[in-house]
Amino acid sequence: MIVTKNLQKSFEGHEVLKGIDQRIEKGEQVVIIGPSGSGKSTFLRCLNLLEEPTGGEIWFEGNNITNKKTDINKLRQKMGMVFQQFNLFPHITVKQNITLAPVKLGVMTQEEADKKADELLQRVGLPEKADQYPNQLSGGQKQRIAIARALAMNPDVMLFDEPTSALDPEMVGEVLELMKQLAKEGMTMVVVTHEMGFAREVASRVLFIDEGIVKEEAAPEEFFDHPKDERLKEFLSKVL
Amino acid sequence: MSGFFKSIADAFYVALIEDNRYLSYLDGIKVTIIISLLAILLGVAIGLLVAVVKVASTNNKKLWLLNKICNLYTTVIRATPAIVQLLILSNLIFTSRNANEILVAALCFGINSGAYVAEIIRAGLESVDKGQMEAGRSLGFTYIQTMKLIIIPQAIKNILPALGNEFITLIKETSIAGVVAVTDLTKAAQYIGSVTWDVLTPLLIAAACYLVMVLGLTKLLGIFERRLAQGDRN
Repeated sequence: MIVTKNLQKSFEGHEVLKGIDQRIEKGEQVVIIGPSGSGKSTFLRCLNLLEEPTGGEIWFEGNNITNKKTDINKLRQKMGMVFQQFNLFPHITVKQNITLAPVKLGVMTQEEADKKADELLQRVGLPEKADQYPNQLSGGQKQRIAIARALAMNPDVMLFDEPTSALDPEMVGEVLELMKQLAKEGMTMVVVTHEMGFAREVASRVLFIDEGIVKEEAAPEEFFDHPKDERLKEFLSKVL
Repeated sequence: MSGFFKSIADAFYVALIEDNRYLSYLDGIKVTIIISLLAILLGVAIGLLVAVVKVASTNNKKLWLLNKICNLYTTVIRATPAIVQLLILSNLIFTSRNANEILVAALCFGINSGAYVAEIIRAGLESVDKGQMEAGRSLGFTYIQTMKLIIIPQAIKNILPALGNEFITLIKETSIAGVVAVTDLTKAAQYIGSVTWDVLTPLLIAAACYLVMVLGLTKLLGIFERRLAQGDRN
């Protein structure tokens, strides 16, 4: 579904990604961990071109999205993204946050989008918040709405950029629970996180990115119980 | 004491009523309002354009030349006095003898105001968190769609109060239009003063007229802002 070939990214001479080759299949839940500044968020943000790679290629569903001629806006409709800082639209209601993209991009009529929004609000457990504004919600509720907003476009893949890092500890659980549910339903997910428990439980594959390269990748049991890379061993010993 | 009031009343009678002089003030007010209105429209149009170029050029390298030109424009306009700009522009245009002074003044104030409006709008657009643009783009919106649906609606409530101030400044600044032979409110007052040999009273009357105009506009903007704030839950 997503293939990266020798993906590189540098910011003003500073090399953040030094060539990453990855193949993410449909239905996989790939969890990416690594120390801060390792390039893991940059890698994720390259996948939908929020960061423009400085080298290599990214293919999504058979389209080379690093090719300038590709209509990235069209492809982004199929790649939902959830941000650390939620980034809900504060000037419109929760329900309008969810229906804005499907309606304005011509994917659904207003009625269809409203119906979809009601379903999604039910699913994220916040139907009573439909007509409130984002700033009236708690952090955990905001993130659940942000997930609903991304799901409204019926994406083929969901990208999560440290979705629980800005939350109070007591609110982390509700967001992770929703993500687990999504994973169980077979949603293709790429998740950058520091939640090791989540990685172990949900991931079909875990990647360790450090110094701009993938230093280790494995299924979670293998990854956590028998790490091979020295840097990963050290990292795990600090966070577990 | 009554003699004192009598002399004031007489002065105002001469400056305002005698020979239907109030008509001159009204004509002056009309000119001031026409210049201000045209300049505001032109200023907002220029300002919007320049602000969009400035904001868009931060992530589109192709616009660098346009951006340089816009920067030059705002820098030059904001670093030189309006009265000098007015004199320069009128001398440029008055070389063709039958130019309309009012339009020249409106053009000049519009160009002048545009630079300030541009900075107001730019600051308003940049005050919106950059995560909003990312969220919009990640859903599949184009840059322009995101601007229209997400960024501008949020920026507008930061922009409007400052824009209101700019309008007020502009109305008062048009009082220098007299230097290029436009008979605006200030010039009309000076003219009456030169006829009646009482300079002060007409100027006081002119000041009162500006006060009323500006207070009226302030009131109007206040109503507008309150209406805007009703839908605001942040």
